[in-house]
Amino acid sequence: MRFSKIIAAGLLAGTLMVPIASHADDKPVVGLVMKSLANEFFKNMLEGAKAHEAKRGDYTLKAVGMQSETDIETQINAVESFITEKVDAIVIAPADSRALVPPLKRAVDAGITVVNFDVSLDEKAKQEAGLTLAFVGPDNRGGAKLAGDALAKKLGQGAKVVIIEGNPGADNAAQRKLGFMDSVEAGKLDLLDSRTAHWETEEANTLFSNMLTAHPDIQGVMAANDSMALGVVKAIDAAGKTGKIEVVGFDNIPAVQPLLKEKKMLATVDQFGQEMAANAVDKALGVLKGGKPLEGWVKTDIKLVTSDDVK
Amino acid sequence: MDSTDIDRSPAGRADFAAVSKTVLREAGIGLALVVLIIVFSVTTQHFLTASNITNILTQVTINLVLSIGMTFVILIGGIDLSVGSVLSFCAVVAGTVMTLPGLDPALAVTLAVISAVIAGIGFGLFNGFISAYWAIPSFIVTLGTLNIARGAALQVTNASTIYSFPAAFNAFGSRTIYGVPVLFLIALLLVAIAWFVLAKTVFGRVLYGIGNNEEAARLAGHNIFFYKIAAFTICGALVGIGAIIYMARLNIASPIIGIGFELNAIAAVIIGGTSLSGGRGSVVGTLLGACIIGVLANGLILLGLSDFMRQMITGFVIILAVILDKYRERLTKA
Repeated sequence: MRFSKIIAAGLLAGTLMVPIASHADDKPVVGLVMKSLANEFFKNMLEGAKAHEAKRGDYTLKAVGMQSETDIETQINAVESFITEKVDAIVIAPADSRALVPPLKRAVDAGITVVNFDVSLDEKAKQEAGLTLAFVGPDNRGGAKLAGDALAKKLGQGAKVVIIEGNPGADNAAQRKLGFMDSVEAGKLDLLDSRTAHWETEEANTLFSNMLTAHPDIQGVMAANDSMALGVVKAIDAAGKTGKIEVVGFDNIPAVQPLLKEKKMLATVDQFGQEMAANAVDKALGVLKGGKPLEGWVKTDIKLVTSDDVK
Repeated sequence: MDSTDIDRSPAGRADFAAVSKTVLREAGIGLALVVLIIVFSVTTQHFLTASNITNILTQVTINLVLSIGMTFVILIGGIDLSVGSVLSFCAVVAGTVMTLPGLDPALAVTLAVISAVIAGIGFGLFNGFISAYWAIPSFIVTLGTLNIARGAALQVTNASTIYSFPAAFNAFGSRTIYGVPVLFLIALLLVAIAWFVLAKTVFGRVLYGIGNNEEAARLAGHNIFFYKIAAFTICGALVGIGAIIYMARLNIASPIIGIGFELNAIAAVIIGGTSLSGGRGSVVGTLLGACIIGVLANGLILLGLSDFMRQMITGFVIILAVILDKYRERLTKA
């Protein structure tokens, strides 16, 4: 329905050879560039943004997702076509903190308001390109430290822990690892090992089983996302160590709710992903309506979730 | 055709020399596995412990089941790149069925198993029919199916993870008998059945024949179309079983699981000595190949090597296996 309207508007604009499309309807157009929509987290985020568009009703949302987490080219193409379409604002969760800098610089130069959310663009790459851009997003490092501190408090000083990392090279994975390391230091924990399971349940299950063989005295696990925490909890069950090893995760996905309730998981972190894109759109519209440009890091909410929060 | 090789000989002919050469070939892969086990036993403290062996067998199981199916497809000179995505599709279908409200747990699990296998067979038939009917390389067809199945899995679930399966089903996935995971025993049973079908039946012999020389098999009066579809369908059915095993082990079904599983399955088959051009190899080799991959992954973590080193070493082992296979081929032909 809406799609056919866009086509109709496009055809009309094309035949008259005047820029009617943007004029016909005074609503600003916001181009939203998302990461992989195969990921529940980003899919929910997109749905949150669509609900937000319907609720506000004073802007038009155009969303583009990617096929996979590493599909950088699709994002670059999306930014370029948004520049061609002369959208009013681009709101982007970059798949790569460096590769997206040059196309976004072109967007800014074309007079488009750009808001960077979810993952921050690389400071050095921004400097080199002469791009000043604020970041709207959660503090992944701070969030991981919340979870890590909860684990440290539960286990006490000197407890033996391991970290299950996200994808090497991914900025949020690196930030979460740093946050966990902060907790290790602050809580004087004994970090035995830290390895990647590429965000995946099965890989985390295999990896943690093997870690447990190498270090049978592990007392706590810090997983960089909940999908991996699921695999870790299952490995603990299979090893007959249920209740003897504490696990913390990140993201607060629905599948971990039963685990929190049964106390098989100590805690996870909610960064309110559903509202994250919508909040970034709000910020972009604020600037478009003549508000002050965004500066530095606009932090969004994060919250520690434990069994007390699960009904 | 090389009649001294049992894999290429007509059905039912038991040739002692040929049998001994097959044993020799399998022994080569077995020897590599034994060497790996010895190396890890010496260099790490916990490798050769009962609980670690249980772990390795658990970790090998899914790949082994997928590799059995892949062996059928590679033997006829095909390839199936879609198994990881199809596994995810089968899992979300089975997961949806299993969590239907108001179903008796036993019935829910039974229906889920049936639906996963049917979904796998469906994609297998699709792959087989298209590549056989239009004579399109299965590489291309299954590359398409890889996307179709992944998209379908995402569509069915709207990208969400399915969980909360019946408690008995979840517990079944961790059950062991004398330290051997029940899921691995199921996989072993499938290996035995596949071995029988490939080595002892006319059907199996014809699959080898097609891999060796499709035209000759056609001229011998075999219905190539049927056999090709059959190989892909068997592969699909095993993917369905693999999906159930995944769910039993990890208690979730999600549309993003199984990414890259096809590559591990292909690696197991190739390390196991099955020729990528078809016609030569065995499912026993595949079993050993899958064990080599599992032992390597486990042992390298116990050794404390970095993740990146681990990945590189696994890559080198795959290449090494294929080079060794070249020599083995010469040896058995001599």
